[in-house]
Amino acid sequence: MKAELEAIQAAALEALKDVETADALESLRIEYFGRRGKLTDVMKGMGQLSKEERPVIGKLANEVRASLTDAFEATKNALESEHQEQKLKAEAIDITLPGRKPAYGKAHPVMQTLERIEAIFTQMGFQVVTGPEVETEHYNFDALNTPPDHPARDLHDTFYLTDGHLLRTHNSPVQIRVMESQKPPVRIIVPGKAYRVDYDVSHTPMFHQVEGLLVDRHVTFSELKGVLVSFARQLFGDQTQMRFRPHFFPFTEPSAEMDITCTVCRGEGCRSCGHTGWIEILGAGAVDPEVFRAGNYDPEEVTGFAFGMGVERIANLQFRIPDIRTFYENDLRFLKQF
Amino acid sequence: MNVTQNWLKTYIDFDFSAEELADRLTMLGIEVEAIKELSTALNGVVVGKVTTIRPHPNADKLVLCQVDIGEEDTLQIVCGAPNVREGIFAPVATIGTDLPSGISIKRAKLRGEESHGMLCSEKELDISEDAAGLMELSSDLPIGTGFTDALGLDDTVFELEITPNRPDCLSLIGVAREIRAETGNDIKLPEVNVQEDDTDIREITSVTIDAPDLCPRYAARVIRGVKIGDSPTWLKQRLESVGIGVINNIVDVTNFVLMEYGQPLHAFDYNKLGENRIVVRRATEGEQITTLDEEERKLTPEMLVIADATKPVALAGIMGGYDSEITETTCDVLLESANFQPSSVRATAKALGIHTEASYRFERGTDPEAVIPAIDRATQLIVELAGGTVCQGTIDVYPGKCELGQIQLRPERVNFILGTELEATEIKQILIRLGFGVDTVQQDNIYQITVPTFRRDITREIDLIEEIARVHGYDNIPTTLPKGDIPVPKPNILVEVRRRIKNYLLASGMMEAINYSFCHPNCFDKIRLPEDNPLRDALKLQNPLSPEMSVLRTTLLPSLLVNAQHNHNHQIDNIALFEMSTVFLNGEEPARIAGILAGEIGVGVYGNPYKSPDFFDIKGIVEGALEVCGPTDWTYAITDEPTFHPGRNAEVLLDNQRIGILGEAHPKVLENYELPYKAYLFELDLEKLADAADFSKRFEPIPIYPSVLRDLAIVVEHDMPSDLPIEIIYSTGGDLVESVRLFDVYVGDQVQEGKKSLAYTITYHSATETLTDKEVNDLHDKVVNRLNQELGAELRL
Repeated sequence: MKAELEAIQAAALEALKDVETADALESLRIEYFGRRGKLTDVMKGMGQLSKEERPVIGKLANEVRASLTDAFEATKNALESEHQEQKLKAEAIDITLPGRKPAYGKAHPVMQTLERIEAIFTQMGFQVVTGPEVETEHYNFDALNTPPDHPARDLHDTFYLTDGHLLRTHNSPVQIRVMESQKPPVRIIVPGKAYRVDYDVSHTPMFHQVEGLLVDRHVTFSELKGVLVSFARQLFGDQTQMRFRPHFFPFTEPSAEMDITCTVCRGEGCRSCGHTGWIEILGAGAVDPEVFRAGNYDPEEVTGFAFGMGVERIANLQFRIPDIRTFYENDLRFLKQF
Repeated sequence: MNVTQNWLKTYIDFDFSAEELADRLTMLGIEVEAIKELSTALNGVVVGKVTTIRPHPNADKLVLCQVDIGEEDTLQIVCGAPNVREGIFAPVATIGTDLPSGISIKRAKLRGEESHGMLCSEKELDISEDAAGLMELSSDLPIGTGFTDALGLDDTVFELEITPNRPDCLSLIGVAREIRAETGNDIKLPEVNVQEDDTDIREITSVTIDAPDLCPRYAARVIRGVKIGDSPTWLKQRLESVGIGVINNIVDVTNFVLMEYGQPLHAFDYNKLGENRIVVRRATEGEQITTLDEEERKLTPEMLVIADATKPVALAGIMGGYDSEITETTCDVLLESANFQPSSVRATAKALGIHTEASYRFERGTDPEAVIPAIDRATQLIVELAGGTVCQGTIDVYPGKCELGQIQLRPERVNFILGTELEATEIKQILIRLGFGVDTVQQDNIYQITVPTFRRDITREIDLIEEIARVHGYDNIPTTLPKGDIPVPKPNILVEVRRRIKNYLLASGMMEAINYSFCHPNCFDKIRLPEDNPLRDALKLQNPLSPEMSVLRTTLLPSLLVNAQHNHNHQIDNIALFEMSTVFLNGEEPARIAGILAGEIGVGVYGNPYKSPDFFDIKGIVEGALEVCGPTDWTYAITDEPTFHPGRNAEVLLDNQRIGILGEAHPKVLENYELPYKAYLFELDLEKLADAADFSKRFEPIPIYPSVLRDLAIVVEHDMPSDLPIEIIYSTGGDLVESVRLFDVYVGDQVQEGKKSLAYTITYHSATETLTDKEVNDLHDKVVNRLNQELGAELRL
């Protein structure tokens, strides 16, 4: 009987090797484990064994049964895995087909730059304020220490309206409006549109400026430097060098322009920077005492500084658009690039 | 303004390289915009002297010269120039030189005679167009030295940007003064020594100033017996190096002194002045003058002229008259050096559209004390270059002489403003170098500053502080952060409304556009506004760039339609754009947001195809925009706005007030913008929306008990608004109806003509218990009954 059991085991294991389908496996299972199965038959014959043989053969029979059960289970698992693999293979797709990306819009490139500038100053405690674009001579020029026959008026080609108003040539009039309506300390930025009669590859008749004003009991020129250096580092990166050059604006004194190392050549000197290695990015200065007087502040009681920058110019340091009028054509092929 | 390094060096010593000088000037506030190296292409050309000349044996027009170029042997050079003579100094191009004009100098035989180089004309050296003869050099130049070296042609031109407050820097000496502030070196003014004859100038001319308010000073000199001719090379070179055209020796001298002192001068032909005298007066009504440029100018009584006894002979400070200009036949010269009131010159120059080197300086203000040094310097040079004799004395009428400006400066105020820790002595030193007089009042606590006449821009303490800052160096001022308190900002709802709506629109797939604030006035016709529509009341520009940019926008819609047209014309038809901007209406600048959908919107790839937008796309976008700002209770009403399709538009109402409009563009509007497909537009008033905005969200409990969903399809009259049944469902179910969602609208075979089917999903829910089937069924039946009774709605099965 022992020999019979071993023969069954060997035959079953041999047969399992040839099984390729779940059905064949089931047939084989019935052949051995079914009610009339080969192993079942042997187990049934156990009763006829002698008392001495029974435990020995019984133990062997159980071992054979267990080993075959395991073997059948293993084959079953193998067949199932193989089946699933084949199924998955059949389900393969062309992964190069396009993703179903939802349509999304993009902010205008000038606005993207403006928002970055705003965010930096907002973090430094500047509040965003706006003012009218249609202005009077008083706010745009006179109150900013630029009387009618001042040569500085030549720097701004002004759009005049037929009703005697004008389109502001810079956002600085808001300085006066804020001083008139608010006591110091003042810490504001004024983003918005300004207008000058100018139309070529590097000028649009409407452009965006960010103007800033900080007034307190004791604000120094060194603090102007500190705020603007901090701003430029954040906007242009830690590696960027800054320098302040004396300049002239009627509404600030001392006045300065801030340059950064050229973004194209990194200061080596190239065509973009006129071989100087520097690019001017903003004008600034200590608020002129006359401007304080125009805003009803006492220049002996408060000091402050103001600055102003052109957003298109700063945006284009990054984007390098050869004709900045492209900004305002709203060509979708252009807008989608940024 | 241009200056050159060598020219500057004649007024002050400095050792800077061109780059260093440019950097120093820039950091002083005189921005160097460009640096240009003058020609260094004349290597091999040396100064030579023709020692002997003999005839060429084989050619009548050529001679054989022996030329000394400082070497042991002289060179034999064959020359055909008409001005060649023994003793002449001229440039010699030696063997092996490649001239800029393209000639290469080789050993050559000319008609059988050896020639070891070439004696050159100006044209051959590419210095000027003069090819008439050899370029004659001064006989004091060292023989054999390099030509460019000897003439100072190796030079660097700096293009300077002089800010309008610094007219004193519009001259070589002015720039030299800035270098003095930087280096402390002294200014070397030209030595001027005028030899006068015995005739007193007062006997032969006079100057009368009838308008002393416009002419604070007028000085004149007379030089008689001059010979008009070309200027010498050095003078031409100087003028050409800074970009000033060469005319004749007299005019060139006035221009040279203009560049030197910043004092414009004018030379009259003395004999062409009526009664040989000068009257400075306002023009009379109807008076005319022909200026040097041969233009006839009509004058008005505000304009200041220089006249003779009868007629204007120059526009004061702007341009001379044609009739009294220096010509080849001029023999006697009356030289003018004057000071004019800046705003008068500015107004006249602007009115006549003439801008000259002179007017540029007078408009900004010249130094009245430069009048005499400049006229003396020019007189001396004229005699040197054109001969003649100088009448004794200078006529100097100076009605506008002012006291020197006095300013008190508090040294501690300097540090207070700048954030520096400068010693009083450093401050004093800087001011002295700039030419200010510094006197101490009250033990160094206050300085009394005397302002030189060339710095009329300095009138206040703060002006002095700027001077100290720039000479001390902006780079040397510390960099610190503000110490003051940060003011508490006021909340700004409009900013928040803008931010939310913009984020929402971007997420909905719309691109942000920015348009000019100007538009063409015909845009109101294009969007079909009636004649009396208030949006037509647009502000007009007095000086527009073009008709397309001549009025200010009162609505954003035309700009977006133009953008759609532009894109369509460039084969881009996936138009989803919005713009956020102010418009200009009734003297105010209300904030608006507007958008357009047209063509095919979406992504347009496999699995995510384009779709043509319809009314409900634009409506949905507007609804989302309103929702992100808080309001929930807006309503719609159809309008008769002619911009829109009469049956496909809606105004958006909040508390019965219009806050915006949306809809399909009228076919005629599409035609006006040449769009071949429908376009959907909206425009909202952001300020009204900000008034209604509500960002105060509160938590609502998440439902604990399960909801029950029931679908309901009803057939109603075709023109019944789809929201009527919804109102009835809510009012019937009360708290137990959580939501009603319209999911289908059907018109077609299955439904009787003139009717439509509306299908809703109703969500029933109770906050306090699980609804039983029976409760829901009863409620649902009630809903169906009311819909039937009140709207005649039939249940569609």
